[in-house]
Amino acid sequence: MKRLNLSKISQFFFLILFLFLFVNTEYRGKDEISLAINSFFRANPLVLFSYILSNFSFTWILFPALLLTFFSFFLGRFFCGWICPLGTTIDFFSKFFRKKEKRIFHPHLKYYLLGFLLFVSLFGINITGLLDPIAILVRFLTFTAFPLFGDIVKSGWVGLYEILGEKRDSIAFLYDFLKSNILPFRETIYPLAFVSFFIFIVILILEKFEKRSWCRNLCPLGTLLGLLSKFSIFKRLPQNLCKDCGDCKSICPTGFEKDLLQREECILCMDCEFKCKFKRVRFNIAMKPDIETSFSKRRVFITSFITGYFVSGVFKFFRDGHDSRLLRPPGVKDEKVFLQKCVRCGECIKICLKNALYPAVFTNGFYNLFTPILIPRKGYCEYNCTLCGQVCPTKAIPQLPLETKRKEVIGIAVFDKNHCLPYAKKVNCMVCEEHCPVPKKAIRFEVVYERDYDGKMKELKKPYVVDELCIGCGICEYICPLTSKAGIEVFKSKELSRSDIYGYNGNSKIS
Amino acid sequence: MERRNFLKVIGSSFLFNLIGAKFVLPSDPKVLSVAEGKDYEKITKDAINAIGGISKFVKPDDVVVIKPNIGWDRTPEQSANTHPLVVKAIAEECIKAGAKRVKIFDRTCNDPRRCYETSGFNAVFRNMRKVELKHIEYERFKNVKLNGKFLKEWELYDEALNADVFINVPVAKHHGLTTLTLALKNVMGIMGGNRGYIHRDIETALADINSVVKSHLTIIDATRILLNHGPQGGDLKDVKVLNRVVASADIVLADAYATTFFGKKPEEISITVEAFKRGLGEMRLSNAKVIKV
Repeated sequence: MKRLNLSKISQFFFLILFLFLFVNTEYRGKDEISLAINSFFRANPLVLFSYILSNFSFTWILFPALLLTFFSFFLGRFFCGWICPLGTTIDFFSKFFRKKEKRIFHPHLKYYLLGFLLFVSLFGINITGLLDPIAILVRFLTFTAFPLFGDIVKSGWVGLYEILGEKRDSIAFLYDFLKSNILPFRETIYPLAFVSFFIFIVILILEKFEKRSWCRNLCPLGTLLGLLSKFSIFKRLPQNLCKDCGDCKSICPTGFEKDLLQREECILCMDCEFKCKFKRVRFNIAMKPDIETSFSKRRVFITSFITGYFVSGVFKFFRDGHDSRLLRPPGVKDEKVFLQKCVRCGECIKICLKNALYPAVFTNGFYNLFTPILIPRKGYCEYNCTLCGQVCPTKAIPQLPLETKRKEVIGIAVFDKNHCLPYAKKVNCMVCEEHCPVPKKAIRFEVVYERDYDGKMKELKKPYVVDELCIGCGICEYICPLTSKAGIEVFKSKELSRSDIYGYNGNSKIS
Repeated sequence: MERRNFLKVIGSSFLFNLIGAKFVLPSDPKVLSVAEGKDYEKITKDAINAIGGISKFVKPDDVVVIKPNIGWDRTPEQSANTHPLVVKAIAEECIKAGAKRVKIFDRTCNDPRRCYETSGFNAVFRNMRKVELKHIEYERFKNVKLNGKFLKEWELYDEALNADVFINVPVAKHHGLTTLTLALKNVMGIMGGNRGYIHRDIETALADINSVVKSHLTIIDATRILLNHGPQGGDLKDVKVLNRVVASADIVLADAYATTFFGKKPEEISITVEAFKRGLGEMRLSNAKVIKV
């Protein structure tokens, strides 16, 4: 009887779950999103470790990661062989590469890499998200694959309109179904789409050299789980290859170095047990200590400590810079704390209703790479939406009740009177005032009678911002009908608010 | 053509315009109805019936477009959008009159998915037969020659242009730039492109568009009106419940009448005045027959 290899079934299941959650991370008519791709980050020990190290605190939303850490301690790197969607993807594409069987990475490189990331975190700079496997996969899907998919389907649909015209409506229900269940609502190809794609492709191309090359040689999450599994009591027996067979070495996707199974690299896929001709291989609980290949832990420790210290110093320089347009999602108060928590997974960017959020490229230095920034000219923060806070896996963007979120100040809108029509050209406009979502209107106007440039007397409505009410949602800048630069712009700086200029006396006259 | 014949044609068409338009053509556009009551579906139907019933406008197998205001992510109580029950009553009447299909859409200002949801439209129209609540698809905007005073051409929505009957259903509310926004301005919802551009000379632009896109029937939702901080509102203190619905075949007249709900005169609203000057309808309430139900 043919036995089913459970690890393959599990991989398939988790990949489907992953894709389902990914697609579900989109506004589909509900104000609350209970199931999102953030679950994969909340169960991610690497996210947990870097969070604890950079924040010196624990948060219960990362409890699943704690559980996974705990289980990995006893069971080993089962996550890599049974759950990790990137691993599954790699396994799938691995078949298409003819192997050269050459180790191109130094076997200890991954420890330096992980050590570096963790030490940088310890010094307050959390950049683990850049190399976290789940984040890499989510970013590839969010910034590149999914929008491309949406774009292709959309183009086809638009093309049909050009051919069929109104008759297209007879199959509209099909498209509507896709649109409301699978497709992204907007087909934005994001900045850094190519970078995300490139990283993903490189990981796949590494398969040319050996199976699961990324997982074995680079992946910081895998390395971390590998280190934990050193103490695991669930082991493959025997630990070395049998003298009379040795097939395991070619079957195994990761773990054999010379003739010895490397415990930290075994992903417990159990292919060897499954394919063993002699039924000798067993996975079982065993207390017997491993035969170890030794490497200088002290050297790894010291090197990554030093590089971590210096690199974090360099990053801090950028972090503390002031970019007047560095607008963060609503609810983010402290830039430093935000950066200690952000995993750079891009979920907030994906879910953002009005495409206000984009991955930062070089805003405020490259330290912000892939972190979300709000670009009001491209999209604005929807007044009644709280989705980014809901999907953020580490609450770097806090999850706020709607009432609170509506009052969160993202920035402050400032008129540019050299561009704004009523000021610059003495022409009425007021589109910004019309769109301002604050019920009492943070943009108001005064009515003046002025001679326009043709010498005609004219009633002119001149807008101004009520600083105390402006939340910096950016709809004014987004909607400003000037075709290039907007006549009103949102800035991070709060210096313009009246309370900063005159001192706050606690009772503003504006109601 | 000989000069004598030419004069005959000119003369008779002039006479027809003068007399025929008043007595020969059946519909008298200067009629307006106002219905009042707490059952919004009922008063909507009452208002339509008072001006002759929907079958005067909708013929069997017609494709009808109802253009409400669903522009904002606001609840029905906040009075920024047309009340969905008013639209529901109109759609039901259209189907009863034999309409092939009723399409409902608006180019929203906030996120379209949120607007359709929060405004209550999704809930009301999800399972209504022959009625399609549709999202705007940008490929369907067509460049239309308007040859107006301000707008020479603009992108307009093809489904609205192709409809047999276009029913304009705004909610009556305050607006910063134009004081009030009513039916004439509601037509902005079928405009593509950078609509904010027309704010520079909005009354002229709206007259330009309304000269090309005719609203066969105008129904103004004044079940509750927004008195201040429009067109979005958000604060229930700015909302006044009136329980009224206005219906007329004359878009300018409907707007002019609804203006009085705000304690204002039609002459104060520049959009109405411009449309009247351009011959799009009657704004002098003294010339209109108002039927109260």
